[in-house]
Amino acid sequence: MEKLYTFLKYTFITLWTVFIVAPFLWAVSTSFKDFQSVNSKVTYIPWLDFEPTLEGWRVLVKSPARGGVDIVEPYFNSIFVTCTASLVSIVLGTLAAYALSRFTFKAGFVRNNDITFFFISQRIMPPIVLSIPFFIFLSTIGLLDSLLGLVVVYIVLLMPIAVWIMVDFFNRVPKELDETALIDGCNPYQAFYKVVLPNSIPGLIVAGMFCIIFGWIDFFFAFILTFTEVQLLPVKVVALNSSITPWWSLSASALISVAPLIIVAFVVERYLSKGNLSGALK
Amino acid sequence: MAKIDLSNISHSYNPNDANPTYALNPFSMTWENGKRYAILGPSGCGKTTMLNIVSGLVKPSKGNILFDEKDVTNLITEERNIAQVFQFPVIYSTMTVYDNLAFPLKCRNFSKEKIDERVKSVSDTLRLSSFLNLPARKLTADQKQLISLGRGLVREDVAGVLMDEPLTVIDPDLKFRLRRNLKEINDQYKTTLVYVTHDQNEAMTFADNIIVMDQGEIVQVGLPKDLFERPKTTFVGYFIGSPAMNIFESQVSSEYSVKINNIEIKTNSNLTKLKDKNVKLGIRSEFINVVEKEGENTIKASLTRVEDFGNFKLLTANMDNFVIKSKVDRELPISIGDINLYIPPEKCCVYENEKLI
Repeated sequence: MEKLYTFLKYTFITLWTVFIVAPFLWAVSTSFKDFQSVNSKVTYIPWLDFEPTLEGWRVLVKSPARGGVDIVEPYFNSIFVTCTASLVSIVLGTLAAYALSRFTFKAGFVRNNDITFFFISQRIMPPIVLSIPFFIFLSTIGLLDSLLGLVVVYIVLLMPIAVWIMVDFFNRVPKELDETALIDGCNPYQAFYKVVLPNSIPGLIVAGMFCIIFGWIDFFFAFILTFTEVQLLPVKVVALNSSITPWWSLSASALISVAPLIIVAFVVERYLSKGNLSGALK
Repeated sequence: MAKIDLSNISHSYNPNDANPTYALNPFSMTWENGKRYAILGPSGCGKTTMLNIVSGLVKPSKGNILFDEKDVTNLITEERNIAQVFQFPVIYSTMTVYDNLAFPLKCRNFSKEKIDERVKSVSDTLRLSSFLNLPARKLTADQKQLISLGRGLVREDVAGVLMDEPLTVIDPDLKFRLRRNLKEINDQYKTTLVYVTHDQNEAMTFADNIIVMDQGEIVQVGLPKDLFERPKTTFVGYFIGSPAMNIFESQVSSEYSVKINNIEIKTNSNLTKLKDKNVKLGIRSEFINVVEKEGENTIKASLTRVEDFGNFKLLTANMDNFVIKSKVDRELPISIGDINLYIPPEKCCVYENEKLI
């Protein structure tokens, strides 16, 4: 029974790994092909089946004037917008979440849970509902088609995630921890950043990871709120497509688009298994 | 180290409702400097609320708190210089044991030498010296609770150390030693210690003074002996002592005696001024003796159960609808059947409306 279970487990894991990894292998091999190798016959193995070429990668860094598509600038734009918006969202979201977890708010019929739900509701709404208000808002303040405008919009999109994760996290941090800090002589701010925050690193990492992922992969708002001045990576990658699909450069750009997320996943995985709350209480 | 005065304190968690319910009914009390107090009562009687009011985590609905005659009612917790230990260990899991113990001193900007000296001294007392450089989260539950305790004791100038059932997670052997340690610390530093518990043995062995609470009310304050021999209400009689006090419905029959089922029992209380003739007679099972012959103040009952606790025997006897429990010497030969129980008048407590007269 035990053996059968192990066997099934590993079979499943193997199949799943193949399912996940196969498209990546396909993309890696395709990114080194040229028009001939993609379109003439089915090929798999470099040097044997086809002659590998770096053309698919090279066009990504060449300027359009030299026949390239230049995704370097959109790449750094994406990094800037995602990181800035995630950072601001984490800072504001953590503070908001701490307040929602520890203090009781009353405004008419509105209570803490309603406020938390208000944050989350911004994510539950179909994004298209928000597109027109965002468009008008950005055009009114003159931030349409600018990095700053995108950062503002992304903060709105990412902060609910941070609030949501951190409220849940702080609710599981016993309030005796804060009270002990107060008794030991901290003021409420010190209690937060000296005691509660260091205990919340796992939560912060999870929240940060989700912010980065959702910021990085957003296509919709990046597409609607930018035109010519500023472009983000997802929009640029889609724009690579033309009447003759450039499979090689699409594969290459797809690979470098997911690369940061893979790195984030590896770093975070290590933290998630190491840092945990076990031992803060009891 | 301070004298703590609680004057006309009361607290409700819903003060703005039409009919607020009170977690603490109005009371006044003084905790003398350097004494040990135990607050004893069943769960939900307001013990923790009282502690939180003293430490400033809860602001009382009414009344004032004074530390050495200085009104601290409106001061926030960090300004009160008080220590509180919770039921379950709270540690700063990202810090080492040393940093945990040093934290209250660091927050108050003590010099490094002073911090070092105090942490060493407290960690020696609590036998944590060998763990000082370990991350606090690596320790066992009772060691963590020692850290919590240590953080309370590390400040010498603290107004008082409040402990909310601090030894729940600690194993019995260590519990015993820690209680003695706390007493030593109290003798040495003259720290005012307040100890909340629902365990009467813990309260009795620890404190000079015991405060018994029930349903937000302070029912009796006194020495362990007073609580045991002269419980002020039937609640205290039930709550303190194991088994609980024997309490019988009875009628006043003459100046000094009451009748239980037509059996006349003499007491030492003067009952002439009572308006209500229906009273309750309370007597500890420790004071009831088995005698050979019927006589004055004896009750004839049928013994239904004998339990041997090793150091004593607990007899359960029935007399009509009354159940009488008596603790006797374990060597006393006893057999199931009719026995005579003697009730000494000087140990009888008479209760009118549940209150001692």
